[in-house]
Order: sequence, then structure tokens, then C-alpha cells
Amino acid sequence: MKSRTMFPQCRHGSVAAALTIALAGASLPVFGDSSKETVREPAEIYRQVCSHCHAPQYGVGPEITIAFPEAAWEARGNYIRMTVRNGRAAMPAFREAKISDSELNGLIRALVSGELDDAPIVKE
Amino acid sequence: MSTSPRILPKGVAEADFDTALARFRDILGADSVLTESDQLAPYTKIMMAGDDQDYIPSAALLPTTTEQVQEIVRTCNQYKIPIWTISTGKNLGYGSAAPGETGQVMLDMHRMNRILDVDPDVCTALLEPGVTYQQLHDYIKENDLKLWLDPPAPSAIAGPVGNTLDRGVGYTPYGEHFMFQCGMEVVLANGEVVRTGMGGIENSSSWQVFKWGYGPYIDGLFTQSNYGIVTKMGLWLMPEPPAYRPFLIQYQDPEDIEEIVDVLRPLRIAQIIPNAVVIVHTLWDAGTHVTRKEYYDGNDSIPREAIDRIKADQGIGEWNVYAALYGTPEQIDVNWKIIEQAFGASGKARLMYGEEAEKRGGGFSYRSALMKGDMNLQEFGLYNWRGGGGSMWFAPVSQAKGSETRDQTELAQQILGKYGFDYVAEYIVGWRDMHHVIDLLYNRQDPEETQRAHACFSELIDEFAKRGYGIYRTNTEFMEKAAGTFGEPLREVHRTLKRALDPNGILSPGKSGIRL
Repeated sequence: MKSRTMFPQCRHGSVAAALTIALAGASLPVFGDSSKETVREPAEIYRQVCSHCHAPQYGVGPEITIAFPEAAWEARGNYIRMTVRNGRAAMPAFREAKISDSELNGLIRALVSGELDDAPIVKE
Repeated sequence: MSTSPRILPKGVAEADFDTALARFRDILGADSVLTESDQLAPYTKIMMAGDDQDYIPSAALLPTTTEQVQEIVRTCNQYKIPIWTISTGKNLGYGSAAPGETGQVMLDMHRMNRILDVDPDVCTALLEPGVTYQQLHDYIKENDLKLWLDPPAPSAIAGPVGNTLDRGVGYTPYGEHFMFQCGMEVVLANGEVVRTGMGGIENSSSWQVFKWGYGPYIDGLFTQSNYGIVTKMGLWLMPEPPAYRPFLIQYQDPEDIEEIVDVLRPLRIAQIIPNAVVIVHTLWDAGTHVTRKEYYDGNDSIPREAIDRIKADQGIGEWNVYAALYGTPEQIDVNWKIIEQAFGASGKARLMYGEEAEKRGGGFSYRSALMKGDMNLQEFGLYNWRGGGGSMWFAPVSQAKGSETRDQTELAQQILGKYGFDYVAEYIVGWRDMHHVIDLLYNRQDPEETQRAHACFSELIDEFAKRGYGIYRTNTEFMEKAAGTFGEPLREVHRTLKRALDPNGILSPGKSGIRL
């Protein structure tokens, strides 16, 4: 599942043309969130965001997919949440706009339980 | 209940700010207006040597449509609320997702993340600012389009719109990003929407193919500036070539930089080598995958003896040229012969590609990925070189002439050495110019070292400017100072434009040193 919302692919700028018409004059306010947020699966977030630094073959950041004993899940989860939201040394902070709270909860569960331990290695 | 004083936008009364926040909630919905400290924490992480207290936002707004952005700026005008706009917020080492100054409201465009159009015939895309390179890359793969991207080093987590607007660079033949931008939609400070280039013509099919439109060309006004908020941007994509040959040329002596640049220049201008070539110094090439303490433990600049050990152990040159050829196999063979001849003349260069290059140390694998537009963040292994999370990119421009390159290298090494920092650097070669990119790496956990890094960066700007070298981009801590090196007449033009387009000064005050 992907996070983006997209217009169907179209050719020769037909979406752009449609937008031009819709925004001609461009002053009619549209209130409220017009996009439906989709929640990405933990493996997808790991692939799109985390793996580029944390996958073992890169070694930019430490490995994060190794399972923890269940007794340590809460503490480990809090550590991950704190690190993702605040950053740590060279690791950037990731905002709610990038990884939503519900996505982060799912990602943490998958990381601490080892569900992503065999996540596919990124290969282009 | 928190006892710490509430952070407010500069010059805005608390009651007015609360009224504005209520209005923002009407426009966006309550969930898209962030005011709690834990929600705002990700907007405070910086890597530059500034004071954390100077970069704390008062709120963050997360629009999803152009119309919402229009309403936001109208509200900001009414209550004189300054907003700082970010897209994906991964301008690492340049300010990341933090505001330009404490109290500004973040306008976080990351949720405007629609890929509006990708045209495989004319090889163009129309994107919103929150689209990441990874997202566009996935889209192209899923739709089996034969198109390549040109990501900068943060690739997957950064985005084409923000990087282009900051005039960033990549490593393919489309490396100079602003050159390959075509058409924008911009929300002005008064809430009106303007489309640049051919975009003003209703039903135009050429918005993403013809840059200039009619009359004065204004797209550049919205790069490295605070004159409007870009809500859509067109860009050109490179068609996937039938063949691709990344290669590596190593030189072993520090002074060889002069020969490299002088041999390279005509090959770049004639497009024999078409991509944004990099000439990488030992410490950068090693620093992506080894740490400093493996070779040296001192707090001063790493000595020559240690650099030589790194070169020997890792199979890295003093200078490592990463470039690539694109086209048919026949074209590549012809151009490779020209390159071999040119670089082979002095007998100093070692040219290699394929398995031989892969076996050498350094960054051939990740450079090969970036030069074909793949997602790869290996470069950020650099942040482990010294550790501590401090990074500032010092990026002066020079002509592509060996004498200038040698002069810049020596000057940078001298100043960095004076402050105890390492020369971790590369040159990115444009058609006729060079971006000399130096990562000033320091331990941000150490206040003394952070202060030293600040002083060092400041001296770099001053001393380079004295010799006629300006920087092409900088972090928010030094924007005012960098703007000062370009002279008062230019600054006055920038201010005049600001007064005309944003009379209340609500859009990203201080960006590139521009204020009312």
C-alpha cells in the first residue's frame, strides 16, 4: 500500500489542464482536508524511508530490525518513537507529515517484534 | 501543565495568534494544525552550528491543497503571522525542517504529495511539493516507464520540488536541477495564484515543455527566495539510455586536482562526459564507510600521514573522479576512447570501470547508483566520520579551471586546519562551473566544538569572498552573512521585490537574507 494520493496518470497535461480550469480565478476557498490519508504498511515505510540507512549493507545507521524480548517492547518502542520524532545525532527527525502517528505505531510494533527482520533488502 | 513561556511569532500578540490558530483550524481541520511541543519537536532538529533556542516554531500547518495555502496566507496577512515553508524538510545540513527563526509558523507542504502527471512521450512530470524522489521513483517503476530521475544525495527522503527550489544538484546529465525545471504554480503573499511560463494560458498543453512563456521569465524569482509558495512544479525527466557505463579515475597526488579539472573541462563542455561529474577527496570517499577514529584520534585536523594510510588501506586516491557515459554501446565506446586518450596523456591517471572499479575502495557502488538516478543514501555515512551530528555544507563556486580549484582547495584546508576540522570535500562539475562542496563535520554535542565550527564557517565565507568566491547555497544560520557577500545593490533589489510582493513580510522572513 502506498501513501500517496494521485490523479490517474494522464498524458499531455490533461490533469494540468483540468486544474487550470478549476483554478481559473483561483480564489474560491475549499476548506478541510481534501485528501484521504492512507496508512502504509510497516514494511513499506521501512523500505521507503528507514532501509536506505539502516539496512545492513549500507551501515549508515545501526540495524533496527532485530527482535527484542517481549518484556522490552515497551521501552524499546518508546526509544524508537523518541528517536524518530526528535532525531538523534546525525539521524534526522521525521515529522507526522512524513510518518503519521498510526504508521509509526505500526512500524514500532513490527520492529520490536522482529517482523521486519527479514524485510527485503533494497535493490534498485 | 507546562510552565515554560509560550513561543509566539515575533511581534504578534497572544490573542491575535490564538485567533489566527482558530482560523487555521477552520481551514485545515484541527488535526493539521500542530501546536503541542511533542508535535513540534521534529521541526527543531538542526545540524548546523546555531543555538537550538533560535530555531523553535510556534506552530506547524499541514495543508493538502493549493486553496488551503491561499487561505493560510490571507490569514497570515490579517494577523501578520510569519510562516516558514518547507516541502519534505530534508535539507540536511542546510536547516532541515526547522524554521528560519524562533516563533515562525511552519508551513509544512509534505502532505501535498500528488504526482499530477508523468508524460513518457515528452519526458516531463508535474508534481506537488511533498512528493519524494522515492515516491516518484516507485511510480515510474510501477508503471514501467523508461525514465530516470536525478536525485541529490538524500535521494529517497528528499523531494524534487524543494531541492530544485533551493537550486540543488544531482549527478546525472540532468544534474543542474533548476535548468530542468519547467513551469510553476505559485501562491503569492496576497493569496492569488500565478502560473509561470505557459501555465497562464487556459488549456495549455505546453506548460511542462516550454520554460519561457511570454514576457519576463520569473521562475527564478521563486528559487532560494521568499516571494511566493510553490504549490506545483514541472520538471524534465531523462529518458533511460540503452547503455550506461559509470567509471572511476583515480589520481594519487594532492596537486593533481589541477590536471584533473583542466582535462575534464573540455570533455564536459563538449558533452563527451554529459553528467555532473564529482571529483572526490580521500576523506569524503572514505568517510562514507569508515570512521575517523579508525585512523586518528586527535582533536586537530587529521594529519597527512593518516590520510596516506587511508588511501593505502582502502584503495582510494587522493582525488577520485566519478563520471558516467550514456547512450548506445557504440557511442559509449567512442567516447570512452576519447576519455582514455585525454586522461592517459600524463600517465598519472588510473582509469577503470566495471569489476575493476567495483573492487576499489571508496564509493563506486553508490556513485554508480546516483549517476543513474537510483535511490541511495550511502553518502550520509559521512555523518559517522566524526560523529556527534554536526554538519554544515560550505559550497563555494569556481570556474572549471585547475588553477582556481587548487587555490580553493588550499584555502579551505588552511582554514579548516586552523580550527581543527578535516577537509571532507568534493567538487561537482557543471558545464563550466564547479560546486566545491565541503562538509564541515563536527560534534554538535560538544558546545566548544560547535562554537569553533561556527567561527570556522564564518571565516570560510569571509576569506573565500575576499578572493572572489561566493557560495551557491547555505544554511539558515549563515543566510544573512552569505547575502552580504553579494553586495548592497543586489540586496536592495531583493528587498524591493520583497516589499512589492509581500508587503507584510509574512513569507519565510530571512530566507537568503531577504527581509522587508
